[in-house]
Amino acid sequence: MIEVLQAGLCDLVMDRGRPGQGALGVPAGGAADPEALAAANLLVGNDAGAAGLEIVQRGPILRFPRGAVVALTGASFAARRSSGAPVAWNETLLLAAGETLHLDHARHGCRCWLAVRGGVAVALVLGSRSTFLPGAFGGYAGRALRTGDHLVLDVAAREVRLRRGRPPLRDATAPLRVVAGPQAGQFDDAGLAAFFGGAYRVEAASDRRGVRLGGPAASHVRGELPSQGVLPGAIQVPPDGQPIILGWDGPVTGGYPAIATVIGADWPRLAQLRPGDVVRFATIGVEGARELALEEWDIRELG
Amino acid sequence: MAKDSTGQPSAAPDWRWVGERGLRVPTGAATLARFDALLACEFAEIEDIIPADGSLLLILRRGAALSPGLCAALQAPLPGAAARGDTLHEIAVAYGGAAGPDLPALARQARLAVDDYIDSHAAAIYTVAFLGFQPGFPYLRGLPSALHARRRASPRVRVPAGSVAVGGVYAGIYPAPGPGGWQLIGHTDSVLFDAARDAPALLRPGDHVRFVPR
Repeated sequence: MIEVLQAGLCDLVMDRGRPGQGALGVPAGGAADPEALAAANLLVGNDAGAAGLEIVQRGPILRFPRGAVVALTGASFAARRSSGAPVAWNETLLLAAGETLHLDHARHGCRCWLAVRGGVAVALVLGSRSTFLPGAFGGYAGRALRTGDHLVLDVAAREVRLRRGRPPLRDATAPLRVVAGPQAGQFDDAGLAAFFGGAYRVEAASDRRGVRLGGPAASHVRGELPSQGVLPGAIQVPPDGQPIILGWDGPVTGGYPAIATVIGADWPRLAQLRPGDVVRFATIGVEGARELALEEWDIRELG
Repeated sequence: MAKDSTGQPSAAPDWRWVGERGLRVPTGAATLARFDALLACEFAEIEDIIPADGSLLLILRRGAALSPGLCAALQAPLPGAAARGDTLHEIAVAYGGAAGPDLPALARQARLAVDDYIDSHAAAIYTVAFLGFQPGFPYLRGLPSALHARRRASPRVRVPAGSVAVGGVYAGIYPAPGPGGWQLIGHTDSVLFDAARDAPALLRPGDHVRFVPR
């Protein structure tokens, strides 16, 4: 069991999400960096698809009455354990009975993932344990964790082995790589030049539904299109020219033109954007994007 | 398949990549028939298919490419009329009042008395074109042309669940509370989406809908 002694800013139970329900209007959702959560799960001996916690910007204080095997991946947070033992990222951590884990603020980036041996036991909703906040379903009662919540864990199947993981190398300062379109043709030259040449600041109103950007207006010819299917990473531009990168819990259809779409290999970087960050964009072809999409974590046993 | 410099497919010039995993294919009036045909094929590289207004978005699995079989299936002639469309839902609506704040202005714009606007809205038989925007939100085709209305210039911050609305050529119903830019004309107690139900969405693409004033 896990006791939430103090909830963080927005702690969400997440797994790989629920792809395949788009025709019902339900986005896939799930961990903003599913490979990072999968890696955390492998570090504690879980199946990659087990449910863990997605923690954003300011984390919770968690108590483990019976101890636990946990792992953290993603953004590094200022963190401490009641035992005084170090809180390493990307490796198996053994917590003693009664130990607390305090995740304070993100040092860099925005989100981290906590896997616990056994996995968080919440009900499957539409095939997933992921929280979907806009619809208030999935995860823990369809909401973020609150102080006083108790999370039940599933029984672990395998013995504990100490492991360490290494994420694929990423340059957090490089431009986000995008495939142009599908509606790049609806933007005028000034709008295209502004978007592909400009720098955009991540706005405070960003969340899992979308990353809102502020910067040079990406002007376009027509304001609205027939609604069309969209996916995370698609960059929609409303009439005011300020782009919105659709997020994991965004709508499955949209009516604004999309100037470009962030490639899958850079979705983990989207997960780490926080208000005030500056982003730029650079184009890449579909084939190149696909080759980059399969970069894997390297996970090894220690000793 | 040949590519132009943007990486967009040129063999079928109206297909568009949305990133490396999304492929938008125009399907016109055959959108649901094409959707059904693709589902029946169970292509391994497809993670999801999202029907929308005259197009499908195919979402491919991470790292997967478009197979020749899928390319062929997207261009293959469709069999006869789809078997959808034999379900009629009657949705009870309380028109106007606090839940339908835009009704008087929309009636004026349509040059109708409010009661005549309601009669016209309730006389039509609608077809669910697709679900989008929110889980279970139906885009209903069949709104009488006199009732077409632009979305609000500035969306409302919070639209209540069950709001019956008009947006462009579509009628719709908000399943969950949230921000929304459509014009609100009434309220229904029908539960449009419940993730815990066996069939979470009350309305499915191809279903028919009639609004019943109460």
